[in-house]
Amino acid sequence: MSSGFDWRAAKIDWPVTTDVGPGLAGVVAAETRVMWLDPSSGQLAYRGVPVDSLANRADFEEVAHLLIAGKGPGGDSQGLASFRRQVRSSRGLPPDVVELIRALDPDTHPTRMLRAGVSAVGCHELTVDDDLSGDRQWRELRVVGQTAALVSAICRHRAGREPRDPEPGCSLAEGVLASLNDRPPTADEVRALDLLWVLYAAHGLDPPTFTSMIVASCLADPYYNIVAGLSALRGPKTGGAAETVLDQLLPLRDPMEAEAWVAQTLADGGVIAGFGHHAYRMPDPRVVVLRKEVASMARTHGRPELFEVARTVEVAATGALAPRGIYINVNFYGALLFHLLGADPPLVPCLVAVGRMAGSAALVREALDGIRLYRPLSRYVGPAERRLSGEGTS
Amino acid sequence: MIGSSQILAEQSYGRGLEGLVAGDTAISEIDGIAGRLLYRGYPIEDLVGRVSFEEVSYLVLFGEMPDANQLEDWSAELLRWRHPPRTALDALQRVPENAHPLAQFRTMMTVAACLIPEPENTELDAQWRRPARILSWTAALAACAIRHLEGAEPLPPRDDLGYAANFLYQATGRTPSADEAAAFEASLVVQAEHGLHAAAFAALVVISTDADLGSAVLAGMGALSGARHGGANQLAFEMLEQLDGPDEARAWARDALARGHRFPGFGHRVYKCPDPRVRALEPYAAALLEVNGNKRLWRTYLALREEIEGTLGAKGIFANVDSITGLIYHPIGLPVSAFPIPFCLAIQTGWMAHCLEYLPDGKVIAPGSVYIDSESRA
Repeated sequence: MSSGFDWRAAKIDWPVTTDVGPGLAGVVAAETRVMWLDPSSGQLAYRGVPVDSLANRADFEEVAHLLIAGKGPGGDSQGLASFRRQVRSSRGLPPDVVELIRALDPDTHPTRMLRAGVSAVGCHELTVDDDLSGDRQWRELRVVGQTAALVSAICRHRAGREPRDPEPGCSLAEGVLASLNDRPPTADEVRALDLLWVLYAAHGLDPPTFTSMIVASCLADPYYNIVAGLSALRGPKTGGAAETVLDQLLPLRDPMEAEAWVAQTLADGGVIAGFGHHAYRMPDPRVVVLRKEVASMARTHGRPELFEVARTVEVAATGALAPRGIYINVNFYGALLFHLLGADPPLVPCLVAVGRMAGSAALVREALDGIRLYRPLSRYVGPAERRLSGEGTS
Repeated sequence: MIGSSQILAEQSYGRGLEGLVAGDTAISEIDGIAGRLLYRGYPIEDLVGRVSFEEVSYLVLFGEMPDANQLEDWSAELLRWRHPPRTALDALQRVPENAHPLAQFRTMMTVAACLIPEPENTELDAQWRRPARILSWTAALAACAIRHLEGAEPLPPRDDLGYAANFLYQATGRTPSADEAAAFEASLVVQAEHGLHAAAFAALVVISTDADLGSAVLAGMGALSGARHGGANQLAFEMLEQLDGPDEARAWARDALARGHRFPGFGHRVYKCPDPRVRALEPYAAALLEVNGNKRLWRTYLALREEIEGTLGAKGIFANVDSITGLIYHPIGLPVSAFPIPFCLAIQTGWMAHCLEYLPDGKVIAPGSVYIDSESRA
C-alpha cells in the first residue's frame, strides 16, 4: 500500500496515486459506502455496522436489507418486513427454469448448474425491449431470492428428488436447508446458515464481485453480471477454495493423521486450503465465531472428530505458515460448517453464492450511479513491427 | 503476464482504472495517438484481406503466423468442434421468445459449459486445449440464436466453408457471396484482439482465480453485451437508421452537437485519432452497400461521420469500430439486436490469448476500494 494513502475518506479526488502491486493489489478500483474492510485490523463492517455485532444477532435477510437498502437492523421494521416478503416471494421459479436444470446430469458441478439457472431466470425477467439503464432495485432484491431458490432446486436434483416449492413464508435459510436435507431444519441449523451467509455477504472487491462490477460498468443486463460473477466464484483460488478445504479435511480420520498430513503436504510444497488471503497478513477475524460454531455443531451432530481434526490442522498449519505471513481464512471453518449443515463439497461454493449475492448486488448497484467503463492499459513487450511475406498465405 | 510484471511502481489513474498500466503483454500493441493496431507485431492493415480468421486466431493465440501444416491442424481442430451438445441447443426451447438474443445465447453457453468434460482440470495444458472448442461452439450457438429470432431451426455446419463463411451460412441460412464472406472475414480479423478493454479485463479477473477458460470467456461476453461496449455497434447502427439521407444526417448531427449529445460509435478510451479498424473496414462496407443497392445508407454514414469528426475531432473524438461493423452485418442480413454477437466471436480470441498469457504465474486480481465515510476527515 502506498504510504499515507487513505482507504477511508470523505471523498476521492480522481486521479489518485497509489502503489500498484501484483494482481492490482493497492489499486483503487471503486469507492463504496456498502462495506469497509479495514486493512490494518481485517475487521469488516457493512454500512458502518461491524460484522461482529451482526453475527448471530441479525439473520441473513436483515443483513441483505442492510446491504441493499442501507437500512440498519432495528431501524426500519416496516421496510424490513416488506423486504422479507418480497425476497421470499421471489423464490417462485418459472417451470421452464427448473426443467432446464433437471435436464442436466445431476453430477454436473453445482456452480455450473447455478450459472445456467441464473441465465435462464434472466431470460424470464427481462425482455429484449427492457431499458437496462432504468431502476434496478427490484432486480437486486429478486436475485437474492432467486439464487436461493435455484440452489434449493439444484440440491434436490443432485439428490434425485422431485422439485418442491419452499414452505410458504419460510425464510431463505429455512427453504435451502429443507431442500438440502429433505426435512424441516432445526433452529440451530437455521441460525448457523444465517450466520454463514451474514459473514460471507461482502468482502471487498474479491474476484467474483469485481468481475460483476466490470460487467456492470458496460451497462450489461444484470443477470449477465451475476453469470460473470459466478464464473469467477468457482475458481480454486477464490470460492472454489472452500470446496478444496473439505476435499482435504474429510479423508483425515483422526488428529494424528491430520498432523502427519499437514507435515507431509507442507514438506511437498503443497497448499493447505483455507489458509492465506491476498488482503490479509493476519488471521481473518471471522474465524473466531465460525470455529466456535463448528465445535458446537460437530458435537450436536455426532461428529466431534471432525472438529478435532480441523483444530489439529489449524494449529499445525498456523505454526508452520504464520511465520511466512500466511494465516487462516474464512473458508476453513466456513466450509466445515456448510458441511455439517448437510452440504457435500461441490455444493459449498453454491451455498456461499447465496450470501455473496446480497453484497455483490449492493456494491454493483451503488457503483452504477457514477461508474465508468473499466479499461486499464497494458505495456507492449512483444515482437517488433513485421510484415507478412509475399502475397499472403490465403 | 499482466499483473505479475515488474510494474510495481506508483501510478496515477482515474475512475475506471483510466490510465493505469496493469501489466505487460506480447499480444497486441495499440497506439492511440498514431492510430495503429498490431497483433504480435503485424499491423492489422497488413493482415486484413490477406489472411483468414483461422490464421489470425492462430497468430493471436499462439504468437506466430501458422505455416501450412500448423494451419491445417488448427483448421481441423476448429472444424472438429462445430457441433455443440444437443442439450445446449435445446435450452433455447426453455427460454421465452421475447428474451434478448444475447440472453438466449448466454443461456445456451452456460448449458454448454455444464457439458464440458474434465471440469475440474484447470492445469495449463488443459486450458491450452480449449480455445478451438470455445471458438467453434460459440459460433454454432450464436448462429442458432440468430436463426431462432426468425423462428428457424438450427442448420448443420458446412465443412467446405471456413469459420467466417460457415457462421454466416448457419446464421442466415444461405451461402454468403464471396464479397460478403470477405467483408465478414475482414470484420473478424480486425476485431480479433484489442488489449485490456473491459471484456478482456473481466475475462482476466476470472482466469486469475484459476477458473477454466470457458468461464473467463463467459465473463467477457457479459461485459461485451453491455450497451457501452459490444452493444454500441447496435446503438450506432440504430442511430444511423433513423436518419433519412446525408442532408438530414448533417442537420441532425449539427443540432445534436450543439446540444452536447454523445454519439454511440464515436470516441474511444484509447484512440484519440481515427480508429485503424474503421479505415480497414470502410472499403468493405462501401462495396457491400453498393451491391446491396443501399448506397444512400453509406453516404448517410459518411456525412454523419464527417460532421461529428469535424467538430469533435479536435477533442480526439472519432468514429470507432462500432460505427462501421453494422454497415457490414446489416447488408449481410444479420439482425440488429444480434450485432454484438459477431464482435464476441472475433474478440474472444484476444481474451483467451490474454488469459493464457496470464496463467503461468498470474496472481489473483483483487484491487481495493475506498470506503466513503462522510464522517472521515476530508
